[in-house]
Amino acid sequence: MHSILAVDDSASMRQMVSFTLKSAGYKVTEAVDGQDAYDKAAMGGFDLVLTDQNMPNLDGIGLTRKLRDHPNFKTTPILILTTESSDQMKQAGRAAGATGWLVKPFDPVRLIEVIRKVVR
Amino acid sequence: MNPTPTTPFEPEAGAMPLLMAADLQDHLMVAGHDLDRLQRLLSDTCDTLLASFHGAIQQIGTLVDPASAADRQALAIDSLREQLGAAVTALQFQDLASQLIAHTHQRLRNCADQLARDAFGPDADGEAVVASAPLRPNPVTQDEMDAGSVELF
Repeated sequence: MHSILAVDDSASMRQMVSFTLKSAGYKVTEAVDGQDAYDKAAMGGFDLVLTDQNMPNLDGIGLTRKLRDHPNFKTTPILILTTESSDQMKQAGRAAGATGWLVKPFDPVRLIEVIRKVVR
Repeated sequence: MNPTPTTPFEPEAGAMPLLMAADLQDHLMVAGHDLDRLQRLLSDTCDTLLASFHGAIQQIGTLVDPASAADRQALAIDSLREQLGAAVTALQFQDLASQLIAHTHQRLRNCADQLARDAFGPDADGEAVVASAPLRPNPVTQDEMDAGSVELF
């Protein structure tokens, strides 16, 4: 079973993401912001990170940058799921090392399709 | 003719510098537009959730009907999953709305502080504190609760 780290400061979003991923058979660990996610990610064992962008303490792009510097996350897919849709932000995400950019709200079927595509 | 006497509490009309008035007007207009958008998002969410609710009730009726054929039951399960998926998308409204409200709140707070500073001047503790206006445009640009785009790099 693949393991996913789901990061969002909104409790309702974490619930929606977890419900969708667990329904599709994934194991889900939740984190409330980028720093919490980094602390949990450092323990290892994740096949994908799905993170929000705008969060307190450490945002999604900052988290992506930090994870890419970590030896365990050089190739792990990192998807940013956010309300932000500007090209400037997308490019910043790409430059930080994100695998993809998903604009909220997400469609559960489409989200699972994308995850299946990037998690090998 | 003597000019009309004024007090510090009754400033003359037009006393506010033009640039500041224009800035405040801009902020208030943006806040108004954001509230309109919030209303549309709320309305869209309610429509979707109601449709999902009624659709799900209909499919449950098919599933619990003993006379219902197996193929009809399979279609009902598929439809039920679709209704659930639409509800999951709509329920993300809370996250979008919270961001929109927080951004608008910061904008309005800045306007209120600017007005207070200009009308009343420094308070007893010194210079009036003005909360900063949002540095970036509102991150929530969605007008409806349709699923957003996906881009893989």
